[in-house]
Amino acid sequence: MSGIALVEQALNGLVIGSFYALTALGLSIIFGVLKIVNFAHGEFYMIGGYIYYLALAALGLPPVAGVVVAALGLVVLGGLVEWSLIRPVYTDKVDRPDEYAIMITFGLAILLQNLMLSLYGPWPLRPAPIFRGRVEIGELIISGDRLAAAAAAVVLIAVVLVILRATWAGKAVRAVSQNRKAAEVLGVNVGRTALLAFGLGAALAGAAGALIGPVFNVTPIMGIIPVVKAYVVVVLGGLGSIWGALAGGLILGQVEVFATVLIPDTSRALAYKDAYGLAVLVLVLLVRPQGLFGERRRLA
Amino acid sequence: MTLPTDVRVGLAAAALFVALPFAGLGDYWLYTLTIGFYYAILAASWSLLVGYVGRISFAQAAMSGLGAYTSVMTVLGLGWPVPLALVVGAAIAGALGLFIGWLSLRLHGPYLGLTTIAFAEILRIAVTAEHQWTRGSLGLSAAPLIDGATRPVLYFVALAVLIATVALLWAILRTRIGLFFQAIREDEEGAASLGVQVTLWKVVAFALSTAVAGLGGGLYAHVVGLISPTMMSLQEMGYVLAMAVIGGFHNIIYSALGGVLLQVLLEYLREIGEWRLAIFGLITILILRFAPNGLFGTLAALGAALRGRS
Amino acid sequence: MSAPLVLTRLSMRFGGITALDRIDLAVAPGEMVGLMGPNGSGKTTLLNVVCGYYRQSGGRVYLGDRRLDGRSAAQRARLGLGRSFQVTKVFRRLTVMENLLVPALTAWSLAPAAARAKAATVLAALNLERLKDARAADLSGGQAKLLEFGRMMMLDPKIILLDEPFGGVYPELKAFMQDHLRRWNAAGVTIVLISHDMGALFGLCPRVVTLAGGRVIADGPAEAVRRDPAVLDAYLGDHYAA
Repeated sequence: MSGIALVEQALNGLVIGSFYALTALGLSIIFGVLKIVNFAHGEFYMIGGYIYYLALAALGLPPVAGVVVAALGLVVLGGLVEWSLIRPVYTDKVDRPDEYAIMITFGLAILLQNLMLSLYGPWPLRPAPIFRGRVEIGELIISGDRLAAAAAAVVLIAVVLVILRATWAGKAVRAVSQNRKAAEVLGVNVGRTALLAFGLGAALAGAAGALIGPVFNVTPIMGIIPVVKAYVVVVLGGLGSIWGALAGGLILGQVEVFATVLIPDTSRALAYKDAYGLAVLVLVLLVRPQGLFGERRRLA
Repeated sequence: MTLPTDVRVGLAAAALFVALPFAGLGDYWLYTLTIGFYYAILAASWSLLVGYVGRISFAQAAMSGLGAYTSVMTVLGLGWPVPLALVVGAAIAGALGLFIGWLSLRLHGPYLGLTTIAFAEILRIAVTAEHQWTRGSLGLSAAPLIDGATRPVLYFVALAVLIATVALLWAILRTRIGLFFQAIREDEEGAASLGVQVTLWKVVAFALSTAVAGLGGGLYAHVVGLISPTMMSLQEMGYVLAMAVIGGFHNIIYSALGGVLLQVLLEYLREIGEWRLAIFGLITILILRFAPNGLFGTLAALGAALRGRS
Repeated sequence: MSAPLVLTRLSMRFGGITALDRIDLAVAPGEMVGLMGPNGSGKTTLLNVVCGYYRQSGGRVYLGDRRLDGRSAAQRARLGLGRSFQVTKVFRRLTVMENLLVPALTAWSLAPAAARAKAATVLAALNLERLKDARAADLSGGQAKLLEFGRMMMLDPKIILLDEPFGGVYPELKAFMQDHLRRWNAAGVTIVLISHDMGALFGLCPRVVTLAGGRVIADGPAEAVRRDPAVLDAYLGDHYAA
């Protein structure tokens, strides 16, 4: 492979990786605080894509405002879901909270997918991306919509990191993630923090859907593949680990791009593209369930 | 000795299903019910694992697909008779289930959920990718279950398979093995401290559940005549989950009935299009939240309470 | 029916933390031994290693001439090792009767009817007969402790390891439980008892072993251990540290 092609692939992987990281970040924040995997995360992502589409098509908003509206819409939806469905998980209202959380978010995914299918049909929608055109750097040519979406994803991730580090709410989220009992003793309201984390996680999924949706297509099932990637990413980086989610996203982006290029039988390599990450997921969970970057905890 | 409520409900439903063709139910609805019986097998096998042993799995639809493809390809490639191919399909699905169950022994809750999703998707991707054997997303035509069989005949065969599998599972669950399963669900360490071989039974449950799913998938393939990788998708898994939850996933008979009920409603409500699936999603959520024993479990408890009062 | 429990140079490390440090301990058949020590001294870890929840980092565990290490927790239970838990591990959504049947039925030679009959005698001994069809989740804390006792006895254990059985138990029930422990012990069951309740521990156990920092720091007749300066030191040190 020539040098320029190599750089092109690496850059491609970086762009895709930033998408993965953005989608996975919300999942990881939610897991950190609530210790549940939100199996409706892909549908939050999908709803974000639709809100973005509507904001542009029906309200005539500019693309950047569309992304903001999508994120805000998902804060509201995420908050409602947390308050009505997720709360019993940590208030001892259900017999088996783990199982309940898995099944209820999976049920929510069925509901949201088919709701959007009923409302808008299976046809792909193609809202305007935040930036059109191509970017040329020397011999490198990258499609502008992808690059812009990736850049926006990086900015969003940075904003979230700052929020988590600098604001009181962000500190509460991190405190509960690290040690819920201690945080509770120190006066952190766990219920409010859970609401916050779920809203923030949902907003990130929504923003990701709004940014990435136009690059591919907005459809009711657009969330299924990205969310499976997000599962891989969070497991790779360690469930609940913020930095792990970011690193995991970047790693998966590169793995997919290069695995596809390096395997000689191209058509087969492409067909299996979505399976590489899954194989990694299984391997990580079996060998090192705390992820590449998580700390091994004593099992008591 | 009086029979337990769930058995009486199950027998009543079985009697109804046997009577329906004689009551003049048309081919269209018989076919719908036949597909419903497939989903009932799947839902029952899933609830065995989730409701009794407390092991979550999202691989049930994929395992059904594995059973289906194995069975169809055994007939195509080796020319074996369909009944034998069905057994091969169930055995292969059970063997893979045994392996996955063994690999994922130490994983629980969301970790197990993610692992089974990964296995399910890898399986679906592999079936789609290897199109020289499976014809990929074009789908593979399957030999008929019985040559020249009419719809009522297929209906009765599927019903017989459903009743046989549910009865078998029920009988197993009634022995001490069923008690061990539930002890493991409640507390693995506690069960081990009392001599329950937790590892063994967790693996056995996984294999049993996936073998039944594989059998169901094979049955479906030879009834419908065409299979494609969509039967292994996570959406399909979602419907199985909805069926088991709505019927009552703590009881294999109730979750099986949930499978039939939902499939019939899906056909009956065809005019409202995808709204019916959205509504099923909503009902699933409401049941999980407010009536975790499911429709039939809650009704049975209600009936018992009413009888107790009078 | 009894056999000695022997631990030789038993060690358990979690990462860099040494929870058990080369423990040598022998419990003779029919003994009732108290196990005490400040928080974090390794008492529960010791039980977990002996019962097979953790694989030891070094050393061996024998029950009679059988080596226990390397066997699963379930196998050890079948060989006659019973245990109770600090936080009860009753099967919450099973009935009291079903809870008792689980250990009995793990012996495949025992028919369900015989297991039921056996459970009935245990229920009678523990005054739990009227609760036999209640869900374990609906029991009070004390009743759950009794149920755990009952389940253990269904195993016909040679030796039982009890982790804080009197925690959160009201005085009458405590007396009732102690009474049962004495009776079982008299019938030949070896008992190892962890308790923070010094009155109960010294009242029941002629021999007391003290752990601190994962080591045995005292082992002998209860009276001697009670006055052992090293033991006092371990507890006082703990107090000062806290």
